[in-house]
Amino acid sequence: MSETADHAQAVDSSAGTAEPVLRVSALGKRYSPQGHAALAGVTFDVEDGELLALVGPSGCGKTTLLRLLCGLMLPSEGTVLLHGRPVVRPPREAALVFQDYSRSLFPWLTVLRNVMFPLRRGHSRAWKIDRAEAVLKEMGLHGVARKYPWELSGGMQQRVAIARALVSRPEILLLDEPFASVDALTRAELQDVLLRVHRDVEGRRVTIVHVTHDIDEAVYLADRVLVLSPSPGRVAGSVEVGLPRPRTQTATRSSTHFLEVRNAIHDVISTRRSTIAGTSDKE
Amino acid sequence: MRALGDIWRVLLGVGVFVGALLVWEIWAGAEESFLVPEASEVLTRAWESWPTSEFLTAVAGSLKRLAAGFVIGAAIGITLGLVMGTSRATRQALDPLVELARATPPIAIVPALVLTLGFGDSMRIALIAFGVCFPVLVNTLEGVRAVSPEARDTASMLHVGRVERVFRIYLPAALPSIFAGLRIALSIGLVMVVISEFAGEGGGLGHYILDQQGQFAYPEMYAGILFLGLLGYGLNVLFRLFERRVLAWHYGATGERNG
Amino acid sequence: MHARRLFQRVNVTGWLFVGLVVLLAELAIQVFELTDSVSPPSETLPALGEGIASGELSGALRITLGTYAGGLVLAIVVGVPVGVLIGSSRLLLDATFVVLEFLRPIPAVALIPLAFLFFGTGSEMRRYIVAYAAVWPILVNTLYGVRGSDRILHEVALASGVSRFGRLVRVTLPAALPSIATGIRVSASIGLLVAVTAEFFFGSGGIGAYMQRQQLAFKLPEMYAAVLLTALLGYTVNVVVRLAERRVIRWTGEERVNWP
Repeated sequence: MSETADHAQAVDSSAGTAEPVLRVSALGKRYSPQGHAALAGVTFDVEDGELLALVGPSGCGKTTLLRLLCGLMLPSEGTVLLHGRPVVRPPREAALVFQDYSRSLFPWLTVLRNVMFPLRRGHSRAWKIDRAEAVLKEMGLHGVARKYPWELSGGMQQRVAIARALVSRPEILLLDEPFASVDALTRAELQDVLLRVHRDVEGRRVTIVHVTHDIDEAVYLADRVLVLSPSPGRVAGSVEVGLPRPRTQTATRSSTHFLEVRNAIHDVISTRRSTIAGTSDKE
Repeated sequence: MRALGDIWRVLLGVGVFVGALLVWEIWAGAEESFLVPEASEVLTRAWESWPTSEFLTAVAGSLKRLAAGFVIGAAIGITLGLVMGTSRATRQALDPLVELARATPPIAIVPALVLTLGFGDSMRIALIAFGVCFPVLVNTLEGVRAVSPEARDTASMLHVGRVERVFRIYLPAALPSIFAGLRIALSIGLVMVVISEFAGEGGGLGHYILDQQGQFAYPEMYAGILFLGLLGYGLNVLFRLFERRVLAWHYGATGERNG
Repeated sequence: MHARRLFQRVNVTGWLFVGLVVLLAELAIQVFELTDSVSPPSETLPALGEGIASGELSGALRITLGTYAGGLVLAIVVGVPVGVLIGSSRLLLDATFVVLEFLRPIPAVALIPLAFLFFGTGSEMRRYIVAYAAVWPILVNTLYGVRGSDRILHEVALASGVSRFGRLVRVTLPAALPSIATGIRVSASIGLLVAVTAEFFFGSGGIGAYMQRQQLAFKLPEMYAAVLLTALLGYTVNVVVRLAERRVIRWTGEERVNWP
């Protein structure tokens, strides 16, 4: 497959074509000319409507990769193509959810205003309020519109952050370890919220790229799991999940297939690890 | 140490204070130096002189100039702080100049101000503004720099334009820091008021104190100083109340009083 | 090693900009004929050089530094122990609270006429005024530093059977050191301001008085040279104190200090 920087018009992928929404080719990132590479030779596709999980140990460049995908950073090598066009700045079709909700939500704005923030131009105020309130309701947040973020629990704050990401109807949702800062019970809740979001809550499909260090979470949520190995970050393997939807915390997680997939991923990681620990010239 | 109840603690503080006043009273009475009038005499003269139009005009003049200088200095400080906080090039270029100006004891610019602006109000207001703008600048700058990477990334993702970013994100985010700077600037402003009134013509509380000293009216002088202290305290309290209202969201978020 | 680190930190752009401003000032003053009120850099800088060479400016500077340092030392010697004392005893804190809050808002410069009555115009008067102005940030910061020191450290010391005084010296004081350092930094700039102000209005020696004399004699280049020197003095003091503070903080390993 040869990648050409083509000038193709943006095709609405939600029409159900086979064209991947995101194409990443030979992506590399180096923070300084002589420094070591954070990422090298990363190549993968993201299909339309897919929920792709990125897992890997710390230092494997997951966050760097995510920032390259959403145009917050430019690559040193390789390309990221969105609908066939190179990503050089944050695309309007993408939205990002951070791990630290307390620092990404604006503390001087109420929940409602936070969610309304992306809708800055082109609509009447009433429309914006309606839209924001609708998204909040979908997130299961009732009666919090006039409150400030810090008045809510961590899990609710993260739901607000997700609501804010969804309010402008993005095609692609990127999440950077979004559930790492909440407790285990809340995490399970939020995972199911994300599944609902993915499962076509608004009558359209959302493509999701979800970065996590929790393998179980990755398997539970994703259609496919990409495993990254560290130093430099590379794709160590790609594992199809193939579990039926809708998924539940109880049934899905205790199924045999779940365990098989999980073990497959662990195998990929440990193989890579032993390869690294062994001879270095194999890299 | 045994902990006292709240009421007892306040009473203890007040009691010690009254005790100090009594010591002053007795010692001053024994000394009989006209340089050190007794507390009671100072308070009596305060009672007599404070409500007079001479005194109140002086105070009003000082407050008026303080307000003008404070507003001007704060405006300059916030503007420069925002610009320097968001533009690396500007920050690098202006940094030594700002550091130099900031470190200059304001009294040093008085002669220059007098020569260019004369002895009147504009000189005084300029001096006050000079003293006020630097703490505000520094705190604004720090507040802007401290904006979280997540907030900045969110701004990028949402395509918030450069100028819009300053007003909709950096300014509100830096507001707690700015207010801390404003509070410091208020105290400094008051000091500048006094210095400017020593130097120039045209009344004011500082000038009054100097006058009384020149006329050997020492109890009045002490009373003037006392009023100045109360004024500073009162302004600070009022400002904190104002700050509480504006930054209600911040106090809730951090869960504690800032500064 | 120090020189290299210093070089890396020098902001070339900024100092070039300063140079540019100086040039523009020179031009503006000459073109707009402001030499009646402002002395252009071409005259000020030589005057500065002469003043230092002849010893007039440097002598005045020495006097200012003398009273300034004297006052600052006095403030530290009084402020730190008192701060530690009050900070470590809830009772004392409650007792002195009202008195301290009452005295604190009084601007030191307002007391200059008062000090003049007691001590005349000599360096003693200026030293006391500097000390009075400088003692408050030191005292308050020491107080808060002592009160805010980690409970756990205290408990460890208690458990290890250290005496009350030993605890004070070996646990409380080092833990409060960053706050104290911050207080001294703030005092350093306030103290300089007050020292020069006192000299200007009531002094006989020092840079402030020199400036006043030159102003009255209408010798502008000399006056502006003194202004420039004062600015440089303030800048140097600032840099030195900041370096010292950073040293102290690094030494005590305290990272969660606020930089006001």
